[in-house]
Amino acid sequence: MGRYWRVFATFAVAGMVRDMTFRTNFLIACISSIAWVAMNLSFYVLVFSFTPELGLNTGWSREPFFVFVATGLIINSIVQTFFMPSAEEFSEMVRSGGLDAVLVQPLDAQFLITCHRVDYSSLANGMVGFLLLFWSLLSTKWTPTPVAFLLYPLFVISGVTILYSFIIGLAAATIFLGRNQSLYDFWFYITTFSRYPMEIYSGPWGTPLQTLCTFVLPILVVVNVPARLLARPFLMSDTNLAIWSLLAAGVSFIVSRRVFTHSIDRYRSASS
Amino acid sequence: MNASSRLPTVDRSLANDDVIQVSGLSKSYRVYDKPEGIAASISGLFRRKHRTVHALQNIDLSVKRGEFVALLGPNGAGKTTCLKLLSGIITPTSGEARVLGHVPWDRENAYRRRFSLVMGQRNQLWWDLPASESFKLHREIYRIDAGHFDRIRDELVDLLGVRSLLLQPVRDLSLGERMKLELVASLLHEPEVLFLDEPTLGLDVVAQHAVHGFLQHYQSARRVTVMLTTHYMKDVAALCQRVVVVMHGSILYDGSLAAFIDRYSTHKLVTLEMSNAPNPALLARWGSDVEVRGPEILVRVDRTQVASVLPELLEIPSIVDITVEDVPLEEIVASLFRSNDSGNSRTHDGAPA
Repeated sequence: MGRYWRVFATFAVAGMVRDMTFRTNFLIACISSIAWVAMNLSFYVLVFSFTPELGLNTGWSREPFFVFVATGLIINSIVQTFFMPSAEEFSEMVRSGGLDAVLVQPLDAQFLITCHRVDYSSLANGMVGFLLLFWSLLSTKWTPTPVAFLLYPLFVISGVTILYSFIIGLAAATIFLGRNQSLYDFWFYITTFSRYPMEIYSGPWGTPLQTLCTFVLPILVVVNVPARLLARPFLMSDTNLAIWSLLAAGVSFIVSRRVFTHSIDRYRSASS
Repeated sequence: MNASSRLPTVDRSLANDDVIQVSGLSKSYRVYDKPEGIAASISGLFRRKHRTVHALQNIDLSVKRGEFVALLGPNGAGKTTCLKLLSGIITPTSGEARVLGHVPWDRENAYRRRFSLVMGQRNQLWWDLPASESFKLHREIYRIDAGHFDRIRDELVDLLGVRSLLLQPVRDLSLGERMKLELVASLLHEPEVLFLDEPTLGLDVVAQHAVHGFLQHYQSARRVTVMLTTHYMKDVAALCQRVVVVMHGSILYDGSLAAFIDRYSTHKLVTLEMSNAPNPALLARWGSDVEVRGPEILVRVDRTQVASVLPELLEIPSIVDITVEDVPLEEIVASLFRSNDSGNSRTHDGAPA
């Protein structure tokens, strides 16, 4: 395991060297990323200038909702920094035959494929997320328990694991399809659902969607569970959701791992 | 499913020196026959026609420790497919193989630590970073002790004369410089088997010569087993004792380079240096393809006739000197490829979807 950490550290250092080499590109990426977050936050501030909370009696007033948004930013920032850049390259690696070089290395192919590129500019969103979380917790009337603070990182990791598993599953499809840019688009569409509290999915259309995105494609638990720990008092229904979140993370990871391994066995390599 | 689990267990009693043992190895691909035109493309959304390409067919091969083997064949013959199978990148359709006692497509780390694959047309070093950064990653992946790593790296960079390039981003290097650094990276973990897929592709003569010299020295010093695919016969002549010719996915010839030339070269090239203006018509009766080059005249003489022709030629008064050589290897190989090429580069079966 120590070797994997050392290899990952080498990837991380190389990513830093690369980003610092193209420093203007790095700064532009950071600024555009933060600007996107700022625009989103402005939009939410605008929404809360018209309504005290999202939905009637849902408990998602401005500060708790900003805890939710901050948690989403942190989780997405981790995924975008450490996994997404590599997964995005995977399609090209399969198409061009670059995957050959990975498969001859004496390390787990999934690790090498999904962790070889670190994009530090995406950490900017995470930092904004931490600041927003800090500000929201200071502003809200509710004080989370020490246990909630301890559990928060665990459920953030659980959420990251679910998103990582989705990325792996979709990336592995590249081997069968040859090219799968639309599947990455699909990933962005589906993760859009995770950006909002699950209470907004109600009614004749919303409830089935909520069930689908909680139990079939467990996207809704990614941000909802850790955010609920800090945003408001934890309910019994939240406990069940938390347990399901951990289970879903484990199952997603195992399934995605199997899909990936199966795909690699079917790899044809590109002609040279 | 790995082919290793589908197939009967192979004879594990590898002879001590047999590093690579291949038996009945085949690889087929199902490819989409894409017709031309918009209408055909739209109909292809619903119904597609596929065919099966047999990239390798029932290959048998064994390579001893320390051998330098050239895999020759025209484009699409199956050379690179063979290397990809032996390095575990792809799994075979049928057949068995063991390299250093391992089934390659099981992709055991214990095996992957013991070989290296260099592909001339693919870059394995980090593009935007100096090669030294890629070497550090290599050290971590292969768990090479820091002191030992420094010693090996220094030895390799000095042999190839690339020390001054270590801190330069790879994207700023020439193709030849990049290939030398690729070779350094591939040898840092001291592999016992080296698969080289067209390592001199696109290199100039000087860079080719440097790579030849290095590989020759390294292979003889370390007794590494090397399998090389190339289209440059200079690579083969400089490096390989043994030649395996692959055509249409099957082995056409497997033996020494000298025996290959003996078998497939039907003529010898006789060069006559003349004291006066050469007259090609004079020599036509002894051989074919008579060619005048300044004071010299070249004639192709049937191999079986050389012994009888030479005394007759020596009687021509204006001859100053005679040289007898083999026909260049490129010509022998090209002629062999042409004579065996039945129109398609690979055999295939039509198979509707």
